Amino acid sequence: MKINKFLLLALLVLPISLLILFMSDEQVENEEVNIYTSRHYDADDLLYEEFTKKTGIKVNIISGSGSALIERLKAEGANSPGDVFFTVDAGNLANFQKQGFLQPIQSEAIKNIVPVELRGLNDEWVAVAKRARVIFYNPELVSDEEIENINYEDLADEMWKGRVVIRSSSNMYNQSLVSSLISNLGVEQTETWARNLVSNFARKPQGNDRSQIMAVANKEAAIAVANTYYMGIMLSGKGGDEQLSAAKKVKIAFPNQNNRGSHVNISGGGVLKYAPNRDNAEKFLEFLLSEEAQNHIVNNTFEYPILDTVKPHPLIANFGDFKMDKTSVADFGKYNPEAVKLMDRVNWQ
Amino acid sequence: MKNFLSLQNISLDLDNKEILKGLNLQVDKGEFIAITGSSGAGKTSLLRIICGLESPKEGEILLDNMIIFNKGISVPTEKRNIGLVIQEKVLFPHLTARKNIEFGLSKNSSNESHVDEILHHLNITKLANKFPHELSGGESQRVALARSIVMKPKLLLLDEPFTGLDTELKSNIYPEIQSILKNNMITSLMVTHDLNEVKALSDKCFNLDSGKLIEI
Amino acid sequence: MFKFKDLNIWHVLILIICSIFFIPLIFIGGSILFGINENFYHLYENLLLDYALNSLYLVLGVSCLVTILGVSTALLVTYFDFFGKKFFQWALILPLAVPPYLLAYVFTEFFDFSGTANVFARNIFDLQNDVAIFPNIRTITGAVIVFGFTLYPYVYMISRVALMNIPASVIEASILLGRNKIFTFFNLSIPLIRPAIIAGLALVAMETLSDFGAVEHFAIPTFTTGIFRTWTGLYDLTTALQLSTMLLLVVFIFLAIERNSRNKIRYANSNYENNAYKPIQLKTYKSSIAFIICLLPVFIGFILPVLELINWATQIDNIFSNKVFTAASNTLFVASLAAFLTCLLALFINFSVRSLKIPQVFNDLLSLGYAVPGLILAVGITQMFTSIDFWIANSNFFITGSIIGLILAYIIKSYAISNNVLNSSYAGIPKSVDESAQTLGANKSRLLQEVHIPLLNTGLLTAFLLVLAELIKELPATLILRPFNFDTLSVSVYLLASEERMFQAAFPGLVIIGFGLIPIYFLNKLILNKNN
Repeated sequence: MKINKFLLLALLVLPISLLILFMSDEQVENEEVNIYTSRHYDADDLLYEEFTKKTGIKVNIISGSGSALIERLKAEGANSPGDVFFTVDAGNLANFQKQGFLQPIQSEAIKNIVPVELRGLNDEWVAVAKRARVIFYNPELVSDEEIENINYEDLADEMWKGRVVIRSSSNMYNQSLVSSLISNLGVEQTETWARNLVSNFARKPQGNDRSQIMAVANKEAAIAVANTYYMGIMLSGKGGDEQLSAAKKVKIAFPNQNNRGSHVNISGGGVLKYAPNRDNAEKFLEFLLSEEAQNHIVNNTFEYPILDTVKPHPLIANFGDFKMDKTSVADFGKYNPEAVKLMDRVNWQ
Repeated sequence: MKNFLSLQNISLDLDNKEILKGLNLQVDKGEFIAITGSSGAGKTSLLRIICGLESPKEGEILLDNMIIFNKGISVPTEKRNIGLVIQEKVLFPHLTARKNIEFGLSKNSSNESHVDEILHHLNITKLANKFPHELSGGESQRVALARSIVMKPKLLLLDEPFTGLDTELKSNIYPEIQSILKNNMITSLMVTHDLNEVKALSDKCFNLDSGKLIEI
Repeated sequence: MFKFKDLNIWHVLILIICSIFFIPLIFIGGSILFGINENFYHLYENLLLDYALNSLYLVLGVSCLVTILGVSTALLVTYFDFFGKKFFQWALILPLAVPPYLLAYVFTEFFDFSGTANVFARNIFDLQNDVAIFPNIRTITGAVIVFGFTLYPYVYMISRVALMNIPASVIEASILLGRNKIFTFFNLSIPLIRPAIIAGLALVAMETLSDFGAVEHFAIPTFTTGIFRTWTGLYDLTTALQLSTMLLLVVFIFLAIERNSRNKIRYANSNYENNAYKPIQLKTYKSSIAFIICLLPVFIGFILPVLELINWATQIDNIFSNKVFTAASNTLFVASLAAFLTCLLALFINFSVRSLKIPQVFNDLLSLGYAVPGLILAVGITQMFTSIDFWIANSNFFITGSIIGLILAYIIKSYAISNNVLNSSYAGIPKSVDESAQTLGANKSRLLQEVHIPLLNTGLLTAFLLVLAELIKELPATLILRPFNFDTLSVSVYLLASEERMFQAAFPGLVIIGFGLIPIYFLNKLILNKNN
């Protein structure tokens, strides 16, 4: 029986040596780019492979939540091997920027492609794809008159009482939506709107965007607020039969078409402050804005492209063109803390 | 009353051995009977049969002219009104001495004064609010006795309750017990090894041998 | 007595170990020194009361439910014989293998609009496809139910052992005094085991307050979700730590209650020999009632979720996918490493207490780690490591984001388990063995290696397995401290459930439950041994 413990010891010496390998992982070599990402789409792996194939630059991925990445960067300080930060939602990018982890992008090519309202302050980050946060409705529960020319602001109206579902306020997408409202309407008006919206909830916020769309398909609610790409995913069948049939039961309405346009948010990236492979970092961002990558993004994550020579995926394009809000996405970050507190004050859970 | 307690033809097996065989016993009301015998003879089992914690293989038990056990009937222990005090400390540790004694009684004033009386008789009034872990061996047994006696049992069974207490203590307790039992006309059966005890307390003495009781 | 001149390398070593255990807590408490910022005010004005009230409601509700479930089943199984009793004796503990977050995920999907429960009900009652019979489970009452059915085994076990420790003679004494069995069980047995019940409830309260996965999924704002949200959403680690301090204080109150009650248990039984009351056979009618009462918790807490998970898993094509395999091997790697180190540590400390005159108090202090909620431990360790890394910023060796933090958290959390096992194992080795070895010339080192370890082998193995099972279930600390690109089974389940992809989460969930069955085997041996 004495052998047991010693065998165990031997078995673990192997992993311990692996452990040591773990930590010396971040050796900086030539022709590499180290990407810190908090996107969790499997399709991104193919994107990285494409980049390597095209440029010969090796891609190393560190993926984790935004807050975890921030702690890591804080700990790494000037020694950080990170080159690129890649994530969804302008709010996340702005928060990152606030901590001082990014540096301005210099590539003219990038700046030519990405319009000003889709870039961060000092060009410290840029959008590489777009998504809109729109209204999904069940035509059996909502009349044409009700949905025609609908605005986000209308969701606070009495007529929508008990008919609206939306996910939790802890989600960045909602925070950015509220931020954009603050940017356009001011805090007071937005707070009143939010308070009334909350009293219109059909149920306590729970689940993710997909869950809200399903609820509308199941007639638990009349309308949901969710991101456009979910329709793509659900209609493509990638989410399974139940989601496919649910997607067929709902329609999309683009809010605010008669005024500023529907709320648009982004996926984006920036160059990290102490990037050892600065040039490769910018090359990677340029790649993300190339036709190839844009097509890949459009076809896999069903987002809207930045490049206007690329068309959105047919499943998404079928919803038609719509007017996009040109509020600077950098504002989302600016008003984010205010938005969060506002949502807490109105008890949007 | 004659034959207040009557055991007829009691048999009991333990571990496939017949330890009680055709046992008979008659006890008059108010009598104090001592039972002696070697260890393992079956004395404890006999007491447990009488109060109903175990059942004999065959036989009949009558108490106060009622059948409490035979082939067709077995009155449950809680209804037999038979008290049992054993050697081990079985006071309820979470209750005071007084609450222990009151455990079987319903809450009314006549019962309360009865309790006070018993406490006084057994010299344990000052212990009323103490907890079992604060009591000495002798004090515990007195409380245990009080607890059984306060129920006005028809029959009181004692299974070597004073074994392990020192002699001086015992000689103090005996007269108290005798008086309280006589005063309340409680019929008693006591298992013991101590011949002094037999002499001090009992009217008759039986020896349990080969499954039967023999008067000595 | 301990004198300063006796201080040697061992004492220093132990002091260092104790410090490492406590430093995360110091970082947590130390957050107060940074003062309250505007985020905290915001929380104070808007959310703190909700957190407190919800937590209170949860603890009270769960306590009631687990008392009813745990004590009633313990009474039935101890005092009666009925159909299925032999099965339920050990089966009632099964829900312990299902971590609360997993049951929460299963129930959510199960009671969902198009989940099994509603589909079943529609089929039975022939209803339209848009009717839902079952109410929304994602409420605070739903959470009470989830915690109640996964945590009642603590109260059940502790009550059962306590009941078995009541000698038959005490029960008989009550019956001889004219009280019937029902009166006796309620007015004697239950008060006698009250310290045990309270200890069990304190443990349940701590587990409830520590949970993150279930309350987050049910969208119930509590301290744990608040802490998580403040850090990941507001990027404010300091305020998160301050919230953690508040939760920790509450947890420590329950810890004190538990310790206090445990001492009372030992005290209450010290006067008795062991000789349990013989169970009473129940007749058919009552026997079936007993059967149903015992079946309910086992069914809801274990059988139902497992069946549903199997149902979902079979609907996925590739359950042994790369991701699952990677997650499983990651889990096993980190959990085994931590379990091994924990056992080593427990061995060392117990040896030191026994043979090197180290005061027992160190052991007791280290054992308190289990009470600290995993989430809080993780946040404290993160802060600790970020600070350390910052001070040694010039090296390429970073502990933040490495596996060291996770392993440290695991060791702190699971030390108590391995200590308990090794403590009892060591207690089984008489001092005379040590003395004989010493007279034969063995020094301390040889004593440990050639005498103790061989004798402790079973204990070490048991401790290892118990810690392993415990760590595999762990979620909050793992979620936060895991290195990048390192998912475990519990984390996979969490991520998939958050994306409402329960079908994919089913198989990893079953693996977690499978490992969770290991301690149940041992716990049953423990209880059945007491029965003899």
